[in-house]
Amino acid sequence: MLITELKPRETIESLADGKKVFVINCQGCKEVHFPEKEANELQKEWSEKGIVTGIITTDYICNPENMELRLQAHKEEIEAADVVLVFSCGVGVQTIAGYLEEKKVCAACDTYPLPGFQGVTPLEYKCDQCGECYLNLTGGICPITACSKSLVNGQCGGAKNGKCEVDSEMECGWERIYRRLEQIGRLDVLKCPTQVRNFATDEEVSK
Amino acid sequence: MENYTKYKLKQKDELVSLLAGKDNLFIIACNKCFKEFETIDEPECGEFEKIAAENGKTVTGSARVDFLCNKTQTEKKLQEMIPEGTENIFVISCGLGIQTIADLAGKPVYAASNSLNYTGFHGMALTERKCDACAQCYLNVTGGVCPIVDCSKSLVNGQCGGAKNGKCEVDSEKDCAWEKIYKRLEKQGRLEEFLNQPVQTRDYSKVNFKFVNDYVKSIRENRLDGYYGGVHPSERKEATEHMELKRFPDPEEVVIPLSMHAGAPANPVVQVGDTVKVGQKIGEAAAFISSPVHSSVSGTVIAIENHGHATRGECLSVVIRSDGKNTLHESVQPHKNLDELTPDEIVEIVKEAGIVGMGGAGFPTSVKLKPAKPVDTILLNGCECEPLLTADHRVLLEFADDVIFGLKAILKAVGAEKGVIVIEDNKPDAIALMTEKTAQIDNIEVVTAKTKYPQGAEKMLIKRVTGRKVPSGGLPADVGCVVSNISTTKAIADAIQKGMPLVERVVTVTGERLKNPGNFIVKIGTNTKDLIDYCGGVTGEDITIKAGGPMMGFVLSDVNVPIMKGSNGIIAVDTDHTKEQPCIKCGRCMDVCPMELSPLYFAKFADEENWQGMKDKNVMDCIECRCCEYICSSKIPLVTKIKAGKNAVRGMK
Repeated sequence: MLITELKPRETIESLADGKKVFVINCQGCKEVHFPEKEANELQKEWSEKGIVTGIITTDYICNPENMELRLQAHKEEIEAADVVLVFSCGVGVQTIAGYLEEKKVCAACDTYPLPGFQGVTPLEYKCDQCGECYLNLTGGICPITACSKSLVNGQCGGAKNGKCEVDSEMECGWERIYRRLEQIGRLDVLKCPTQVRNFATDEEVSK
Repeated sequence: MENYTKYKLKQKDELVSLLAGKDNLFIIACNKCFKEFETIDEPECGEFEKIAAENGKTVTGSARVDFLCNKTQTEKKLQEMIPEGTENIFVISCGLGIQTIADLAGKPVYAASNSLNYTGFHGMALTERKCDACAQCYLNVTGGVCPIVDCSKSLVNGQCGGAKNGKCEVDSEKDCAWEKIYKRLEKQGRLEEFLNQPVQTRDYSKVNFKFVNDYVKSIRENRLDGYYGGVHPSERKEATEHMELKRFPDPEEVVIPLSMHAGAPANPVVQVGDTVKVGQKIGEAAAFISSPVHSSVSGTVIAIENHGHATRGECLSVVIRSDGKNTLHESVQPHKNLDELTPDEIVEIVKEAGIVGMGGAGFPTSVKLKPAKPVDTILLNGCECEPLLTADHRVLLEFADDVIFGLKAILKAVGAEKGVIVIEDNKPDAIALMTEKTAQIDNIEVVTAKTKYPQGAEKMLIKRVTGRKVPSGGLPADVGCVVSNISTTKAIADAIQKGMPLVERVVTVTGERLKNPGNFIVKIGTNTKDLIDYCGGVTGEDITIKAGGPMMGFVLSDVNVPIMKGSNGIIAVDTDHTKEQPCIKCGRCMDVCPMELSPLYFAKFADEENWQGMKDKNVMDCIECRCCEYICSSKIPLVTKIKAGKNAVRGMK
């Protein structure tokens, strides 16, 4: 899951400065987020200035087969452009850049991470795929993602009024874990042996 | 296809020690996401059960669930899933599924699996391209090759110098990303540009908890607002929303289909050569669920024959040549005041005026006005959630008094206490006007609904406004509601106040590829082609014309079809060229289905002709809103498959 936000206006404008532009908008993840209004405004201005050779608004350009089918009708417009400006996540930009290898392809957006994988409704929690699930010891609250320091053996002691010392907007993950364990009567698991995190990759583990 | 399986069972010895001291287990496994549908190797439920049995544990049951991390649906499923006597729940899934269950179960929850580590977000299609969501895209500098994920050191200012023969020193299997970047830029003649770039500094504070957390909150609220599911397609209404209604020039000839409604087609009551007048009945209702049709012009019947039809292919139609005089038929006379009319009289007027649901479904309104169960609330659907269309919006603005009159008539006919006019927040002028007009009316209120498609669908509208849920296979009346479309309500007012049957309607003619868009009052039976020509025709090639909006409209391969009672729009848009790809189980269709169905199974079962499977997954509840098809990352024509399934299921009875 991901969020796309427009890059600062001056950055995008510098990419289009004095050039002919072909624009690709990918709205496949619009339900998650797409800066539709801002992108439209900018593109309208460019159209009026006459620097746009074409605009397509489509979805899932990360799917190469359909992306190619959809771009076919716009070959000449792409040909006429100095730069292809893609409004999408980083996957989309890379897919277009790979397809139009000879062309200058640029990203108009920055991509931010969002927790959760499934569908279009993000979850409040996330999984870092650490490969050694600690949830059994923590009442189902993930110490890797819910603690900003990813501590696996208890709190750091720096929390103030239940808030994390790294990010005061964030609740202390270990206080949440404590409360959850207390609630389900399982505070005894805190007496488990010290956990050591294995940072090896899956491939290294399986070797 | 790449394997994106996100978890595997923990090692046996770890599981054995985890099981110590715990008994009466319930096992939940997630059906794995981001995989080709057909590669359903069993989520290692069986293996875990075996380990549990070897250790002498009682298993109270097990379940396999799709998309455990779909919290709303999982919560619902969980309610009936866990049997009495269960003490511990073991979950086989990625960390998200386990945390979801741990949040919801109220019992100790354990992870029987580890999440696998693949880095980067892979987009919705399963390709090898990754994005680390660093919030400061470097692709502009690097010719579209990502230095964060492709360079094992994530260097952003050039190579480390450690590569040997083009291979990375960290991983000799991997190409050096910076050599790839160099080659790409060289090919494009951009080396100079790159060398002149200032040094890039990575800002690790850009992705912070607050930013992401605020987003999650706002997206969740938006997604779950009012009712489950739904989508937010681009509205594109600006071309016509402020254009006043214009009367479309009288056609010389009208083709009036005898079926513009749900149920039996009307029986013609005129013959070729007959002279007819405006409002004269030319077809009679043929059954309880049917509707009469009337002439929209005065003139001569020149044919009664099969003619092209926007939704049925062909349909018996009455062709009338207009005399250009628009002489009213004698039967067109104002009825009594609303106060003097009895509920039955109102229903009779509506029936005789041939009024049917004008939102597209065409269900006879008179039948709706005689609900089998007591109704307390009438909802007027002023949402017009279909992108592009603005017909109802203009009716609300230009016929506000008629709409309110029509609502009062419905309230009286049904005996309901309260009328609610629901308008989406993208029509602030209509909201303001209707609020002002109804301020003095005690039992009518205006509700503003946040835009979300398909809000105008009866069941969603009811859920949003009253919180009531129409049961599977049920009708709005089952929860004490009747829903009426705005244009339909205006037609009821015309039928009572003027005695005028349904012979004309408001149509939005628009779309990016239409030259001069507009909103028109059009006589039923007017040729669609004339409407498009009047609007200056279309621009460019490779265009799709649809009757209705972009979401639920019908593609017109031939525009020689008449405007009907349910024709709210004609749109000309770019043809979208796609090819159906394999389902990757991304779960998006399930996430957006407002009826809370699992459309991904409909695609699979339709291809297998497994109609019983379709039925078991409640295909008959589908309202064909097309949200699943819109969101599908593999562009699977889901609605076509669903329709095939529905037909087959109907045939099973």
